[in-house]
Amino acid sequence: MLPNHAPPPPQAATLLPRTALELKKSTIVASPELFSDDILRLFHEYPELDTIPVIEDTHPIGLINRHVFMNEMARPYVREIYGRKSCIAFMDKHPLIIEETTPIQELSFQALAAGQKALSDGFIIVRNGSYTGVGSGFDLVDAVTKLQAEKSRMVMESIEYASVIQRSFLRPSQRDLATHLPDHLLHWEPRDVVGGDFFVFRTFNDGYFIAIIDCTGHGVPGAFMTLIMASFLDRILQHDNPRDPAEVMTKMNRMIKGALAQDGDIHHDGSDDGMDTAFMWFNSAERLLTWASAKIPLFIVTPPTNNTASDAKIEQMNGERMGVGYRTTPMQHTWVNHSAHLAPGASVFVTTDGFIDQPGGKKRIAFGKKRLKNTLLEHHALALKDQGEHIMQTFRAYQAEQRRRDDVTFFGFRP
Amino acid sequence: MLGVFKMQNLKLEATSTSPEVDFQFSEHRLALRGESYPENAAAFFGPIVEALNGYLEQTQNQVIEVIIELTYFNSSSTKVLFNVFNMLNFAAASNTINLHWRYDEDDDTILEFGDDLHEDFPDINYIPESFAS
Repeated sequence: MLPNHAPPPPQAATLLPRTALELKKSTIVASPELFSDDILRLFHEYPELDTIPVIEDTHPIGLINRHVFMNEMARPYVREIYGRKSCIAFMDKHPLIIEETTPIQELSFQALAAGQKALSDGFIIVRNGSYTGVGSGFDLVDAVTKLQAEKSRMVMESIEYASVIQRSFLRPSQRDLATHLPDHLLHWEPRDVVGGDFFVFRTFNDGYFIAIIDCTGHGVPGAFMTLIMASFLDRILQHDNPRDPAEVMTKMNRMIKGALAQDGDIHHDGSDDGMDTAFMWFNSAERLLTWASAKIPLFIVTPPTNNTASDAKIEQMNGERMGVGYRTTPMQHTWVNHSAHLAPGASVFVTTDGFIDQPGGKKRIAFGKKRLKNTLLEHHALALKDQGEHIMQTFRAYQAEQRRRDDVTFFGFRP
Repeated sequence: MLGVFKMQNLKLEATSTSPEVDFQFSEHRLALRGESYPENAAAFFGPIVEALNGYLEQTQNQVIEVIIELTYFNSSSTKVLFNVFNMLNFAAASNTINLHWRYDEDDDTILEFGDDLHEDFPDINYIPESFAS
Protein backbone atom coordinates (compact mmCIF):
# COMPACT_ATOMS: atom_id res chain seq x y z
CA MET A 1 0.00 0.00 0.00
CA LEU A 2 1.61 3.21 -1.05
CA PRO A 3 0.64 6.36 0.77
CA ASN A 4 0.17 8.91 -1.91
CA HIS A 5 1.63 12.05 -0.48
CA ALA A 6 3.45 14.32 -2.83
CA PRO A 7 5.54 17.06 -1.29
CA PRO A 8 6.26 20.00 -3.58
CA PRO A 9 9.58 20.04 -5.45
CA PRO A 10 12.42 21.58 -3.46
CA GLN A 11 12.15 25.36 -3.32
CA ALA A 12 14.93 27.89 -3.35
CA ALA A 13 16.06 28.58 0.18
CA THR A 14 14.63 31.58 1.96
CA LEU A 15 17.10 34.40 2.42
CA LEU A 16 19.53 33.53 5.15
CA PRO A 17 22.82 35.24 5.90
CA ARG A 18 25.48 33.71 3.68
CA THR A 19 28.47 35.93 4.47
CA ALA A 20 29.86 38.05 7.29
CA LEU A 21 28.51 41.15 5.50
CA GLU A 22 24.98 40.15 6.39
CA LEU A 23 25.80 39.99 10.11
CA LYS A 24 27.36 43.45 10.05
CA LYS A 25 26.17 46.12 12.48
CA SER A 26 27.44 49.62 12.95
CA THR A 27 28.65 50.71 16.34
CA ILE A 28 30.56 53.45 18.11
CA VAL A 29 34.25 53.29 17.34
CA ALA A 30 37.26 54.90 18.98
CA SER A 31 40.47 56.25 17.52
CA PRO A 32 43.74 55.58 19.38
CA GLU A 33 43.94 59.30 20.17
CA LEU A 34 41.01 58.93 22.56
CA PHE A 35 41.93 58.67 26.24
CA SER A 36 40.81 55.87 28.49
CA ASP A 37 38.66 58.44 30.32
CA ASP A 38 36.80 59.03 27.05
CA ILE A 39 36.12 55.33 26.73
CA LEU A 40 34.91 55.23 30.33
CA ARG A 41 32.47 58.02 29.52
CA LEU A 42 31.27 56.23 26.40
CA PHE A 43 30.59 53.02 28.32
CA HIS A 44 28.64 55.04 30.92
CA GLU A 45 26.72 56.89 28.27
CA TYR A 46 25.85 53.78 26.24
CA PRO A 47 25.07 50.96 28.67
CA GLU A 48 24.15 48.56 25.84
CA LEU A 49 27.63 48.86 24.39
CA ASP A 50 29.71 45.75 25.15
CA THR A 51 32.69 46.45 22.94
CA ILE A 52 34.30 49.38 21.18
CA PRO A 53 36.54 48.79 18.16
CA VAL A 54 39.63 50.95 17.95
CA ILE A 55 40.34 52.21 14.44
CA GLU A 56 43.53 53.82 13.23
CA ASP A 57 43.01 55.57 9.88
CA THR A 58 40.61 53.00 8.48
CA HIS A 59 42.19 49.90 10.01
CA PRO A 60 40.99 48.13 13.13
CA ILE A 61 43.82 47.74 15.64
CA GLY A 62 41.95 46.35 18.61
CA LEU A 63 38.73 45.81 20.51
CA ILE A 64 37.90 47.16 23.94
CA ASN A 65 35.72 44.87 26.01
CA ARG A 66 33.52 46.65 28.56
CA HIS A 67 34.08 44.19 31.42
CA VAL A 68 37.81 43.89 30.95
CA PHE A 69 38.15 47.67 30.63
CA MET A 70 35.96 48.48 33.62
CA ASN A 71 37.76 45.98 35.81
CA GLU A 72 41.13 47.45 34.89
CA MET A 73 39.99 51.01 35.47
CA ALA A 74 38.52 50.09 38.86
CA ARG A 75 41.89 48.95 40.19
CA PRO A 76 43.71 51.40 42.52
CA TYR A 77 45.55 54.27 40.76
CA VAL A 78 44.90 52.88 37.28
CA ARG A 79 42.55 55.65 36.38
CA GLU A 80 45.02 58.21 37.68
CA ILE A 81 47.85 56.70 35.63
CA TYR A 82 45.99 55.73 32.45
CA GLY A 83 42.98 58.01 32.41
CA ARG A 84 44.68 60.66 30.29
CA LYS A 85 46.54 58.18 28.11
CA SER A 86 45.59 56.44 24.86
CA CYS A 87 42.70 54.03 25.15
CA ILE A 88 44.77 51.27 23.54
CA ALA A 89 46.22 50.36 26.95
CA PHE A 90 43.36 48.02 27.78
CA MET A 91 42.19 46.85 24.39
CA ASP A 92 42.49 43.34 23.02
CA LYS A 93 45.17 43.76 20.37
CA HIS A 94 44.20 40.56 18.55
CA PRO A 95 40.47 40.61 17.99
CA LEU A 96 38.96 38.40 15.34
CA ILE A 97 38.93 40.39 12.09
CA ILE A 98 36.82 39.07 9.27
CA GLU A 99 36.48 40.13 5.64
CA GLU A 100 32.90 40.93 4.63
CA THR A 101 32.90 38.25 1.95
CA THR A 102 33.75 35.42 4.37
CA PRO A 103 31.05 32.73 4.19
CA ILE A 104 29.21 32.11 7.46
CA GLN A 105 30.51 28.59 7.75
CA GLU A 106 34.14 29.64 7.40
CA LEU A 107 33.48 32.50 9.82
CA SER A 108 32.17 30.02 12.37
CA PHE A 109 35.32 27.89 12.03
CA GLN A 110 37.50 30.97 12.53
CA ALA A 111 35.41 32.06 15.51
CA LEU A 112 35.80 28.63 17.09
CA ALA A 113 39.53 28.68 16.46
CA ALA A 114 39.73 32.11 18.10
CA GLY A 115 38.24 30.63 21.24
CA GLN A 116 35.72 32.00 23.72
CA LYS A 117 36.37 35.68 23.03
CA ALA A 118 35.00 35.60 19.49
CA LEU A 119 31.65 34.46 20.84
CA SER A 120 31.56 36.88 23.77
CA ASP A 121 33.20 39.95 22.16
CA GLY A 122 32.09 39.31 18.62
CA PHE A 123 34.33 40.21 15.70
CA ILE A 124 35.31 43.16 13.56
CA ILE A 125 34.23 43.21 9.94
CA VAL A 126 36.43 44.77 7.25
CA ARG A 127 36.39 45.33 3.51
CA ASN A 128 39.87 44.96 2.04
CA GLY A 129 41.25 45.51 5.52
CA SER A 130 39.26 48.70 6.20
CA TYR A 131 36.78 48.75 9.07
CA THR A 132 33.12 48.58 8.09
CA GLY A 133 31.35 47.27 11.18
CA VAL A 134 31.10 44.57 13.84
CA GLY A 135 29.35 41.25 14.21
CA SER A 136 28.12 39.67 17.43
CA GLY A 137 28.74 36.12 18.62
CA PHE A 138 25.02 35.70 19.23
CA ASP A 139 24.14 36.65 15.64
CA LEU A 140 26.78 34.25 14.36
CA VAL A 141 25.43 31.31 16.41
CA ASP A 142 21.93 32.25 15.31
CA ALA A 143 22.95 32.31 11.64
CA VAL A 144 24.84 29.01 11.84
CA THR A 145 21.91 27.30 13.54
CA LYS A 146 19.45 28.55 10.94
CA LEU A 147 21.80 27.58 8.16
CA GLN A 148 22.10 24.04 9.48
CA ALA A 149 18.34 23.75 9.89
CA GLU A 150 17.92 25.06 6.37
CA LYS A 151 20.44 22.60 4.99
CA SER A 152 18.82 19.59 6.62
CA ARG A 153 15.40 20.81 5.50
CA MET A 154 16.67 21.00 1.93
CA VAL A 155 18.16 17.53 2.14
CA MET A 156 14.90 16.15 3.52
CA GLU A 157 12.88 17.94 0.87
CA SER A 158 15.06 16.57 -1.85
CA ILE A 159 14.77 13.04 -0.43
CA GLU A 160 11.02 13.45 -0.18
CA TYR A 161 10.91 14.47 -3.79
CA ALA A 162 13.10 11.48 -4.65
CA SER A 163 10.45 9.41 -2.94
CA VAL A 164 7.81 10.84 -5.28
CA ILE A 165 9.94 9.70 -8.22
CA GLN A 166 10.52 6.26 -6.73
CA ARG A 167 6.81 5.82 -6.04
CA SER A 168 5.96 6.91 -9.57
CA PHE A 169 8.24 4.18 -10.85
CA LEU A 170 6.15 1.63 -8.93
CA ARG A 171 2.82 2.95 -10.14
CA PRO A 172 2.56 1.20 -13.56
CA SER A 173 3.20 -2.13 -11.84
CA GLN A 174 0.55 -1.42 -9.24
CA ARG A 175 -1.96 -0.36 -11.85
CA ASP A 176 -1.40 -3.47 -13.97
CA LEU A 177 -1.52 -5.68 -10.92
CA ALA A 178 -4.90 -4.25 -9.96
CA THR A 179 -6.21 -4.98 -13.47
CA HIS A 180 -4.73 -8.41 -14.06
CA LEU A 181 -4.30 -9.95 -10.62
CA PRO A 182 -7.00 -8.35 -8.50
CA ASP A 183 -6.54 -10.87 -5.69
CA HIS A 184 -3.11 -9.72 -4.57
CA LEU A 185 -1.36 -7.91 -1.78
CA LEU A 186 1.60 -5.59 -2.05
CA HIS A 187 3.23 -3.81 0.85
CA TRP A 188 6.20 -1.69 -0.05
CA GLU A 189 7.63 0.01 3.00
CA PRO A 190 11.05 1.61 2.74
CA ARG A 191 12.68 1.91 6.14
CA ASP A 192 13.42 5.55 5.41
CA VAL A 193 11.66 7.86 2.98
CA VAL A 194 13.15 6.08 -0.02
CA GLY A 195 14.54 2.56 -0.11
CA GLY A 196 16.35 -0.26 -1.84
CA ASP A 197 13.38 -2.59 -2.29
CA PHE A 198 11.55 -2.65 -5.57
CA PHE A 199 8.78 -4.43 -7.34
CA VAL A 200 8.03 -4.98 -11.02
CA PHE A 201 4.93 -6.43 -12.64
CA ARG A 202 4.66 -6.68 -16.43
CA THR A 203 1.90 -8.25 -18.47
CA PHE A 204 2.35 -10.19 -21.70
CA ASN A 205 -0.28 -11.85 -23.87
CA ASP A 206 0.24 -15.27 -22.28
CA GLY A 207 1.18 -14.39 -18.74
CA TYR A 208 2.87 -12.12 -16.22
CA PHE A 209 6.43 -11.36 -15.26
CA ILE A 210 6.89 -10.47 -11.60
CA ALA A 211 10.06 -9.37 -9.85
CA ILE A 212 10.64 -8.61 -6.20
CA ILE A 213 13.97 -6.91 -5.71
CA ASP A 214 16.05 -6.12 -2.63
CA CYS A 215 19.05 -4.01 -3.61
CA THR A 216 22.04 -3.60 -1.32
CA GLY A 217 21.58 -0.84 1.14
CA HIS A 218 18.58 1.27 1.90
CA GLY A 219 17.83 4.98 1.90
CA VAL A 220 19.24 7.07 -0.92
CA PRO A 221 21.96 4.65 -2.11
CA GLY A 222 19.40 1.83 -2.07
CA ALA A 223 16.99 3.92 -4.10
CA PHE A 224 19.71 4.68 -6.66
CA MET A 225 20.21 0.97 -7.05
CA THR A 226 16.50 0.29 -7.56
CA LEU A 227 16.40 2.70 -10.49
CA ILE A 228 19.46 1.08 -12.07
CA MET A 229 17.98 -2.39 -11.58
CA ALA A 230 14.55 -1.37 -12.87
CA SER A 231 15.97 0.10 -16.05
CA PHE A 232 18.20 -2.94 -16.66
CA LEU A 233 15.26 -5.24 -16.11
CA ASP A 234 13.09 -3.22 -18.50
CA ARG A 235 15.78 -3.37 -21.14
CA ILE A 236 16.13 -7.14 -20.79
CA LEU A 237 12.37 -7.70 -20.82
CA GLN A 238 12.11 -5.75 -24.07
CA HIS A 239 14.51 -8.03 -25.88
CA ASP A 240 14.49 -11.30 -24.05
CA ASN A 241 12.09 -13.97 -23.07
CA PRO A 242 10.23 -13.15 -19.86
CA ARG A 243 9.07 -16.78 -19.77
CA ASP A 244 12.57 -17.78 -18.72
CA PRO A 245 13.20 -15.98 -15.39
CA ALA A 246 16.51 -17.77 -14.81
CA GLU A 247 17.84 -16.46 -18.10
CA VAL A 248 16.62 -12.94 -17.28
CA MET A 249 18.43 -13.16 -13.94
CA THR A 250 21.60 -14.47 -15.53
CA LYS A 251 21.55 -11.55 -17.98
CA MET A 252 20.90 -9.08 -15.16
CA ASN A 253 23.93 -10.38 -13.30
CA ARG A 254 26.19 -9.75 -16.27
CA MET A 255 24.70 -6.35 -16.92
CA ILE A 256 25.09 -5.17 -13.32
CA LYS A 257 28.62 -6.47 -12.98
CA GLY A 258 29.59 -4.81 -16.23
CA ALA A 259 27.91 -1.49 -15.49
CA LEU A 260 29.25 -1.15 -11.95
CA ALA A 261 32.68 -2.50 -12.95
CA GLN A 262 32.24 -5.35 -10.50
CA ASP A 263 33.68 -7.83 -12.91
CA GLY A 264 37.38 -7.48 -12.28
CA ASP A 265 39.84 -7.37 -9.44
CA ILE A 266 38.77 -6.47 -5.97
CA HIS A 267 39.33 -2.78 -5.45
CA HIS A 268 38.99 -1.74 -1.88
CA ASP A 269 36.95 1.36 -2.52
CA GLY A 270 35.04 0.07 -5.52
CA SER A 271 31.39 -0.81 -5.22
CA ASP A 272 30.13 -4.25 -4.35
CA ASP A 273 26.45 -3.86 -4.91
CA GLY A 274 23.78 -6.09 -6.26
CA MET A 275 20.44 -7.52 -5.32
CA ASP A 276 18.59 -10.40 -3.78
CA THR A 277 15.65 -11.10 -5.98
CA ALA A 278 12.96 -13.48 -7.15
CA PHE A 279 11.81 -13.42 -10.78
CA MET A 280 8.59 -15.21 -11.63
CA TRP A 281 6.75 -16.00 -14.80
CA PHE A 282 3.14 -17.05 -14.52
CA ASN A 283 1.56 -18.75 -17.48
CA SER A 284 -2.12 -18.01 -16.96
CA ALA A 285 -3.60 -20.65 -19.30
CA GLU A 286 -1.66 -23.51 -17.71
CA ARG A 287 -1.51 -21.95 -14.24
CA LEU A 288 2.18 -22.75 -14.33
CA LEU A 289 4.52 -20.71 -12.19
CA THR A 290 8.18 -20.64 -13.20
CA TRP A 291 10.68 -18.86 -11.01
CA ALA A 292 14.33 -18.26 -10.37
CA SER A 293 15.53 -16.85 -7.11
CA ALA A 294 18.60 -15.29 -5.60
CA LYS A 295 18.19 -15.65 -1.84
CA ILE A 296 14.48 -14.83 -1.73
CA PRO A 297 12.26 -17.71 -0.66
CA LEU A 298 8.87 -18.39 -2.21
CA PHE A 299 5.92 -19.68 -0.25
CA ILE A 300 3.02 -21.43 -1.94
CA VAL A 301 -0.13 -21.94 0.09
CA THR A 302 -2.56 -24.55 -1.20
CA PRO A 303 -6.02 -24.67 0.34
CA PRO A 304 -7.57 -27.97 1.44
CA THR A 305 -9.39 -29.76 -1.38
CA ASN A 306 -13.17 -29.72 -1.29
CA ASN A 307 -14.93 -31.68 1.41
CA THR A 308 -11.83 -32.84 3.15
CA ALA A 309 -10.94 -31.98 6.67
CA SER A 310 -7.27 -31.56 5.85
CA ASP A 311 -5.53 -28.30 6.55
CA ALA A 312 -4.14 -25.86 4.07
CA LYS A 313 -0.63 -26.71 3.03
CA ILE A 314 2.36 -24.40 2.78
CA GLU A 315 5.54 -25.09 0.86
CA GLN A 316 8.73 -23.11 1.21
CA MET A 317 11.09 -22.92 -1.74
CA ASN A 318 14.43 -21.37 -0.84
CA GLY A 319 16.26 -19.33 -3.41
CA GLU A 320 19.77 -20.01 -4.59
CA ARG A 321 22.31 -18.56 -2.21
CA MET A 322 24.04 -16.52 -4.90
CA GLY A 323 23.12 -12.82 -5.03
CA VAL A 324 22.83 -11.04 -8.38
CA GLY A 325 25.55 -8.65 -9.59
CA TYR A 326 27.87 -8.77 -6.60
CA ARG A 327 31.61 -8.80 -7.00
CA THR A 328 31.75 -12.30 -5.51
CA THR A 329 29.12 -13.59 -7.93
CA PRO A 330 30.84 -15.01 -11.01
CA MET A 331 30.13 -13.32 -14.34
CA GLN A 332 29.22 -16.69 -15.81
CA HIS A 333 26.90 -17.78 -13.02
CA THR A 334 23.59 -19.10 -14.29
CA TRP A 335 20.44 -19.41 -12.25
CA VAL A 336 18.02 -22.29 -12.55
CA ASN A 337 14.29 -22.26 -13.18
CA HIS A 338 11.88 -24.04 -10.90
CA SER A 339 8.23 -24.50 -11.62
CA ALA A 340 5.00 -25.55 -10.00
CA HIS A 341 1.39 -25.89 -11.10
CA LEU A 342 -0.81 -23.77 -8.95
CA ALA A 343 -3.86 -25.65 -7.74
CA PRO A 344 -7.14 -23.71 -7.80
CA GLY A 345 -7.14 -21.28 -4.89
CA ALA A 346 -3.39 -21.58 -4.33
CA SER A 347 -1.50 -18.41 -3.52
CA VAL A 348 2.12 -17.40 -3.84
CA PHE A 349 4.02 -15.15 -1.41
CA VAL A 350 7.44 -13.56 -1.52
CA THR A 351 9.05 -11.10 0.84
CA THR A 352 12.38 -9.38 1.24
CA ASP A 353 14.62 -10.18 4.20
CA GLY A 354 13.57 -6.92 5.86
CA PHE A 355 10.44 -8.79 6.89
CA ILE A 356 11.92 -12.15 7.85
CA ASP A 357 14.97 -10.76 9.66
CA GLN A 358 13.24 -7.97 11.60
CA PRO A 359 13.97 -8.47 15.30
CA GLY A 360 11.14 -8.20 17.76
CA GLY A 361 9.08 -10.11 20.28
CA LYS A 362 10.12 -10.71 23.87
CA LYS A 363 13.43 -12.22 22.82
CA ARG A 364 14.27 -9.61 20.22
CA ILE A 365 15.01 -12.24 17.64
CA ALA A 366 14.13 -12.31 13.95
CA PHE A 367 10.49 -12.68 12.87
CA GLY A 368 11.66 -15.75 10.97
CA LYS A 369 10.18 -18.00 8.32
CA LYS A 370 8.42 -20.29 10.78
CA ARG A 371 6.36 -17.43 12.19
CA LEU A 372 5.71 -16.19 8.67
CA LYS A 373 4.40 -19.58 7.55
CA ASN A 374 2.15 -19.85 10.57
CA THR A 375 0.78 -16.38 9.88
CA LEU A 376 0.11 -17.26 6.23
CA LEU A 377 -1.69 -20.47 7.16
CA GLU A 378 -3.73 -18.72 9.80
CA HIS A 379 -5.26 -16.28 7.34
CA HIS A 380 -5.12 -18.30 4.10
CA ALA A 381 -8.87 -18.29 3.53
CA LEU A 382 -9.16 -14.51 3.35
CA ALA A 383 -8.88 -12.30 0.30
CA LEU A 384 -5.20 -11.46 -0.16
CA LYS A 385 -5.75 -7.80 0.55
CA ASP A 386 -7.19 -8.72 3.94
CA GLN A 387 -4.44 -11.27 4.53
CA GLY A 388 -2.00 -8.44 3.87
CA GLU A 389 -3.60 -6.36 6.61
CA HIS A 390 -3.33 -9.25 9.07
CA ILE A 391 0.23 -10.09 8.07
CA MET A 392 1.43 -6.51 8.44
CA GLN A 393 -0.46 -6.14 11.70
CA THR A 394 1.22 -9.28 13.05
CA PHE A 395 4.55 -7.96 11.81
CA ARG A 396 4.12 -4.56 13.46
CA ALA A 397 2.95 -6.10 16.71
CA TYR A 398 6.02 -8.35 16.66
CA GLN A 399 8.37 -5.48 15.84
CA ALA A 400 6.73 -3.45 18.63
CA GLU A 401 9.14 -0.80 19.88
CA GLN A 402 12.13 -2.21 17.98
CA ARG A 403 13.55 -0.05 15.22
CA ARG A 404 12.78 -1.09 11.67
CA ARG A 405 16.08 -2.55 10.46
CA ASP A 406 15.57 -2.68 6.71
CA ASP A 407 13.17 -1.98 3.87
CA VAL A 408 10.23 -4.35 3.73
CA THR A 409 8.38 -5.59 0.67
CA PHE A 410 5.69 -8.21 0.90
CA PHE A 411 3.91 -9.51 -2.15
CA GLY A 412 1.34 -12.22 -2.65
CA PHE A 413 -1.09 -13.20 -5.37
CA ARG A 414 -3.81 -15.77 -5.97
CA PRO A 415 -4.43 -16.09 -9.71
CA MET B 1 54.54 -20.42 19.90
CA LEU B 2 57.99 -18.95 20.08
CA GLY B 3 58.77 -15.29 20.44
CA VAL B 4 56.80 -12.48 21.95
CA PHE B 5 53.24 -12.16 20.84
CA LYS B 6 52.90 -8.60 19.63
CA MET B 7 49.32 -8.55 18.44
CA GLN B 8 47.17 -6.00 20.30
CA ASN B 9 43.90 -7.38 21.58
CA LEU B 10 40.90 -5.65 20.09
CA LYS B 11 37.91 -4.68 22.14
CA LEU B 12 35.00 -2.51 20.94
CA GLU B 13 31.83 -1.96 22.92
CA ALA B 14 28.54 -2.69 21.21
CA THR B 15 26.44 0.20 19.91
CA SER B 16 22.82 0.08 18.76
CA THR B 17 23.98 -0.64 15.21
CA SER B 18 27.29 -2.44 15.69
CA PRO B 19 28.30 -5.53 17.64
CA GLU B 20 30.63 -5.93 20.57
CA VAL B 21 34.01 -6.98 19.22
CA ASP B 22 36.19 -8.88 21.67
CA PHE B 23 39.25 -10.29 19.93
CA GLN B 24 41.60 -11.68 22.58
CA PHE B 25 44.35 -12.59 20.18
CA SER B 26 46.67 -13.49 23.05
CA GLU B 27 44.10 -16.06 24.24
CA HIS B 28 43.19 -17.15 20.68
CA ARG B 29 39.63 -16.25 21.47
CA LEU B 30 37.57 -14.09 19.10
CA ALA B 31 34.02 -13.03 19.93
CA LEU B 32 31.34 -10.96 18.18
CA ARG B 33 28.09 -10.28 20.01
CA GLY B 34 25.03 -8.17 19.34
CA GLU B 35 23.59 -6.69 16.18
CA SER B 36 25.30 -5.43 13.07
CA TYR B 37 23.79 -2.91 10.72
CA PRO B 38 26.18 0.04 10.58
CA GLU B 39 25.50 2.61 7.84
CA ASN B 40 28.80 1.69 6.23
CA ALA B 41 29.72 -1.88 7.10
CA ALA B 42 32.94 -1.79 5.07
CA ALA B 43 34.16 1.22 7.06
CA PHE B 44 33.21 -0.28 10.41
CA PHE B 45 34.70 -3.70 9.79
CA GLY B 46 37.75 -2.56 7.80
CA PRO B 47 40.11 -2.15 10.79
CA ILE B 48 38.65 -5.23 12.49
CA VAL B 49 39.25 -7.43 9.47
CA GLU B 50 42.73 -5.97 9.11
CA ALA B 51 43.60 -6.80 12.73
CA LEU B 52 42.22 -10.30 12.30
CA ASN B 53 44.21 -10.77 9.14
CA GLY B 54 47.41 -9.67 10.91
CA TYR B 55 46.71 -12.12 13.69
CA LEU B 56 45.95 -15.05 11.42
CA GLU B 57 49.06 -14.44 9.36
CA GLN B 58 51.31 -15.01 12.35
CA THR B 59 49.34 -17.80 14.00
CA GLN B 60 49.97 -21.49 13.50
CA ASN B 61 49.17 -24.74 15.29
CA GLN B 62 46.71 -23.05 17.61
CA VAL B 63 43.20 -23.84 18.67
CA ILE B 64 41.25 -20.68 17.94
CA GLU B 65 37.86 -20.32 19.61
CA VAL B 66 35.48 -18.12 17.63
CA ILE B 67 32.29 -17.15 19.42
CA ILE B 68 29.58 -15.56 17.34
CA GLU B 69 26.40 -14.46 19.03
CA LEU B 70 24.68 -12.11 16.62
CA THR B 71 20.94 -11.57 16.62
CA TYR B 72 20.70 -9.38 13.54
CA PHE B 73 23.02 -8.43 10.70
CA ASN B 74 22.16 -6.66 7.49
CA SER B 75 23.23 -7.77 4.04
CA SER B 76 26.41 -5.69 3.89
CA SER B 77 27.48 -7.05 7.29
CA THR B 78 26.74 -10.51 5.95
CA LYS B 79 29.23 -9.95 3.18
CA VAL B 80 31.88 -8.93 5.69
CA LEU B 81 31.11 -11.98 7.82
CA PHE B 82 31.61 -14.18 4.79
CA ASN B 83 35.02 -12.59 4.27
CA VAL B 84 35.88 -13.25 7.89
CA PHE B 85 34.83 -16.90 7.68
CA ASN B 86 36.70 -17.24 4.43
CA MET B 87 39.85 -16.06 6.21
CA LEU B 88 39.21 -18.44 9.11
CA ASN B 89 38.55 -21.31 6.74
CA PHE B 90 41.89 -20.60 5.11
CA ALA B 91 43.62 -20.37 8.48
CA ALA B 92 42.10 -23.74 9.40
CA ALA B 93 44.74 -25.37 7.21
CA SER B 94 47.35 -24.65 9.89
CA ASN B 95 45.14 -24.16 12.97
CA THR B 96 42.05 -25.64 14.53
CA ILE B 97 39.14 -23.23 14.25
CA ASN B 98 36.19 -23.89 16.54
CA LEU B 99 33.21 -21.78 15.57
CA HIS B 100 30.72 -21.51 18.42
CA TRP B 101 27.60 -20.38 16.60
CA ARG B 102 25.33 -19.18 19.36
CA TYR B 103 21.62 -18.65 18.72
CA ASP B 104 18.43 -18.39 20.65
CA GLU B 105 16.65 -21.76 20.66
CA ASP B 106 13.70 -20.14 18.85
CA ASP B 107 15.77 -18.24 16.31
CA ASP B 108 15.51 -20.37 13.16
CA THR B 109 16.88 -17.50 11.05
CA ILE B 110 20.24 -17.36 12.79
CA LEU B 111 20.52 -21.15 12.97
CA GLU B 112 19.83 -21.41 9.26
CA PHE B 113 22.54 -18.86 8.54
CA GLY B 114 25.01 -20.84 10.64
CA ASP B 115 24.11 -24.06 8.83
CA ASP B 116 24.74 -22.31 5.52
CA LEU B 117 28.12 -21.14 6.77
CA HIS B 118 28.99 -24.68 7.72
CA GLU B 119 28.21 -25.80 4.21
CA ASP B 120 30.40 -23.07 2.70
CA PHE B 121 33.35 -23.32 5.07
CA PRO B 122 33.82 -27.02 5.82
CA ASP B 123 37.29 -26.63 7.35
CA ILE B 124 35.92 -24.70 10.30
CA ASN B 125 34.56 -26.84 13.15
CA TYR B 126 30.98 -25.69 13.31
CA ILE B 127 29.55 -25.92 16.80
CA PRO B 128 25.97 -24.66 16.95
CA GLU B 129 25.04 -23.73 20.51
CA SER B 130 21.47 -22.86 21.29
CA PHE B 131 20.57 -21.01 24.41
CA ALA B 132 17.29 -20.33 26.15
CA SER B 133 16.40 -16.78 26.99
